[in-house]
Amino acid sequence: MDPIRKDEFDSEACGSKAPKSKPCPRPKPGEAAGGCSFDGAQITLLPIMDAAHLVHGPIACAGNSWESRGTLSSGPSLSQYGFATDLNDSDIIFGGEKKLKESIDYIAGRFAPPAIFVYSTCVTALIGEDMDAVCKEAGDRLGIPVIPVNSPGFVGSKNLGNRLAGDALLQYVIGTGEPEPELPPGVNLIGEYNIAGEMWDIEKLMNSAGIAVTSRITGDARYKEITWAHRAKVNMVVCSRALLGLAKEMESRYGIPYFEGSFYGAKETTYSLRQMAYLMNDRDMERRVDRLTEREESRLTQDLRPYRKILKGKRAVLYTGGVKSWSVISALKELGVQVVGVGTNKSTEDDVRRIADRVGDDTEYIPEGGATRILKTVRERKADIMIAGGRNMYVAMKEQIPFIDINQERHKAYAGYEGLLRLAKELTYSLANPIWKLASSPAPWDKEVPYDR
Amino acid sequence: MTVNRRNKPASVNPIKIGQSLGAVLALQGCYRAMPLIHGSQGCSAFPKALLTRHFREPIAVQTSALQEMDVIFDANRNLEEALNIVLSKHRPDIIGIIGTELTDVAGVDYATMLKSYKRERNMRGGLAFSVVLPDFRGSIESGFSATVEAMIDEMIQQVGHRGSRTVNTRQITLLPGSFLTPADVMELKEMISAFGFEVIAVPDISTSLSGHLLTGFSPLTRGGVPLDSMLQSLQSGLTIAVGASMERPARRLHNALGTPYKVFNGAMGLKATDEMLHFLHQISGEPVPLRYCWQRENLLDSMLDAHFQFAGMSVVSALEPDHLYSISAWLEELGVEQKALIASYETPVVAGMEREVWIGDMDDAEVLGGGADLWISNSHGIAGAQRIGAAFMPAGFPVWNELGAYMSVSVGYRGAMEWSNKAGNLLMQREAKHRESSVRHR
Repeated sequence: MDPIRKDEFDSEACGSKAPKSKPCPRPKPGEAAGGCSFDGAQITLLPIMDAAHLVHGPIACAGNSWESRGTLSSGPSLSQYGFATDLNDSDIIFGGEKKLKESIDYIAGRFAPPAIFVYSTCVTALIGEDMDAVCKEAGDRLGIPVIPVNSPGFVGSKNLGNRLAGDALLQYVIGTGEPEPELPPGVNLIGEYNIAGEMWDIEKLMNSAGIAVTSRITGDARYKEITWAHRAKVNMVVCSRALLGLAKEMESRYGIPYFEGSFYGAKETTYSLRQMAYLMNDRDMERRVDRLTEREESRLTQDLRPYRKILKGKRAVLYTGGVKSWSVISALKELGVQVVGVGTNKSTEDDVRRIADRVGDDTEYIPEGGATRILKTVRERKADIMIAGGRNMYVAMKEQIPFIDINQERHKAYAGYEGLLRLAKELTYSLANPIWKLASSPAPWDKEVPYDR
Repeated sequence: MTVNRRNKPASVNPIKIGQSLGAVLALQGCYRAMPLIHGSQGCSAFPKALLTRHFREPIAVQTSALQEMDVIFDANRNLEEALNIVLSKHRPDIIGIIGTELTDVAGVDYATMLKSYKRERNMRGGLAFSVVLPDFRGSIESGFSATVEAMIDEMIQQVGHRGSRTVNTRQITLLPGSFLTPADVMELKEMISAFGFEVIAVPDISTSLSGHLLTGFSPLTRGGVPLDSMLQSLQSGLTIAVGASMERPARRLHNALGTPYKVFNGAMGLKATDEMLHFLHQISGEPVPLRYCWQRENLLDSMLDAHFQFAGMSVVSALEPDHLYSISAWLEELGVEQKALIASYETPVVAGMEREVWIGDMDDAEVLGGGADLWISNSHGIAGAQRIGAAFMPAGFPVWNELGAYMSVSVGYRGAMEWSNKAGNLLMQREAKHRESSVRHR
């Protein structure tokens, strides 16, 4: 297969290789936060649960990061193993290719995975290891796909890493297999990583509407199912701008239409399901979706009533990456929560437009990271709650601000109708917790009331 | 006795953690400090996320955010930019520049750059030092001790040459190893000060990562030993190092200032505590406080109560070298069989242990520890422990599967008692579960 020409990608979606492109600006020394491209590539590919994921480099890249993500598996767990070539001094001097080859052989022999993903790191990229050649040779010899993922940390941001992982899938995986004949035509879910089991909630909904999933890219995925992704009828890009390039390329290569959607909030969920049925061009399916969404929405309205009462008028600052900035806003709005500040650090211009559509003018945009900046917005806008990633959680705790974790390390699923109800509950629990009162009132001896003897 | 390695090319489920994380940890124990990792963005993001997950506290760390082209052309331009921003925005008292494998392989000379930067900016009053910590060597433990050593070096250079030193014999510098929790450091400080000494811990995570709301949020470290106390520690009459890895910084103080030092390799269990208290008793001339006499009784009594539980039980432990040494000594006192001891990398102290030690990973723990009843390691070991059917006891770093792990005490009589009870309870629960599953329903 021809390698993909990099300039074919649209430069708007994050991850164009031009370093100055807006969605992926150069991280600022001394002020940068967030992960690197290596991190991003792992986020995209680790949810392929039955594959082995081998990190080629010194220990820290794997040692500091394995088992840190909340992506769940319904079966195989090999992807939760931390594999590393763990290079030492002499490997760096004499080259680590031999060790890489032996490691691939060892993993293939002992764990018999359907595929091995091999990640380059800054050091192995810097010393010029020919990882592609080693992978190809090993793959041919062992008879299993050994896929190089060229996304060393220093090429750029996490978003770019997501995208480079998508490149690897396009180049080495998608189109290399055929589905079982009994599999009905269906939808690829792109950029849904089954954090806290969200994929399962989404799939349940799709099943009840009779929409089949062709490939999960990559939440709770099996390697095999991604090889036949090109047989899907529709691609849905779920909350991952970085993988838009993948959808676009699949459209031009295989003629699969795609749309961007989200499952955060009832409205977005309904829209996404409708869009799937519409693009599948199936009248029956559309009717089923209509019936399902009506039923689910009316039930949700009932269930949400008590929570809406409490949440109405509450103010939130939302600080999260990329697409979630706008998709979560919809969910919050449905609950009556006003978003008074929103992070746009990883959002594209399109995302920002979508944010603007949803929040109006009265919201502060937080373009660049830094906990201090977020806290300032929380204080100035008198927000009641902060919704952000785990890294900022204890920043909020120190300032005694109620907090909800929305990122990849979290343990709660917020997608779909049930997810929205869960989000409403979590918001309520968080706001109503007695700790806020207890923590903000002083110890009795610090209150200056003289003891009446 | 012997150090072994299993013959396999890849590391499977590593215990090892990058050295630079140890450096970040060490700097968290200094007040108003900022560790600055000279590497790509991920080199700081991963340690930050992992430390946050373990301590459940915000972690101060910054990065020079190197990208491909920066590494090729001039990595130090990024460092300078980062220094400018950190200094002008946050005004830290201490800056530690941490070199990574990336700068090491690219051959970036940031030590010279830092020197000229300090000269040009006329930087005085604070500490700024650099330390080389590529992670194709060592682990969190070596990164921690090397950073403390570099920090001490910088302190000596700043004030050491200023005339003669007035030695304060009632003051002791405590150099706590990386495996000690904030509560452990607190306990050690209390033990030493119970004999009438003033203690300055360098670094002191007991006042920064122990969990407090005192200072609100700051991008710098919140709590820890303040710079003037650190400088004052150079006047101490004695250095006490806990953990063999801390001997090097102690020796540095000895060589430069003549401060005598005492190293305690182990800190856990009856004998280790006896040794420490006896030493403190001898150098201070004070009697051992009643509280510790009582705690000793309590410990012995609880060990008697628990010894039935440990009879015939076997343990596999996979830890950082110093921690492994310490825990192994405690396990010895419990009378359990130590089925396998696995260290993340080789150091003289594990090589000199009287037992067989393996250098390896969690996978080795799983293979060598098959059939063990208790598994002691960081939280990465949960799955392995489950697979071999052992009860899992979290220790070391990182621990994310239980609340307050960072506040658990393992040193002193109190620590030994807590841990003995905890281990006994885990075994008891495991036994109960087995009994339940073996009940036959008719």
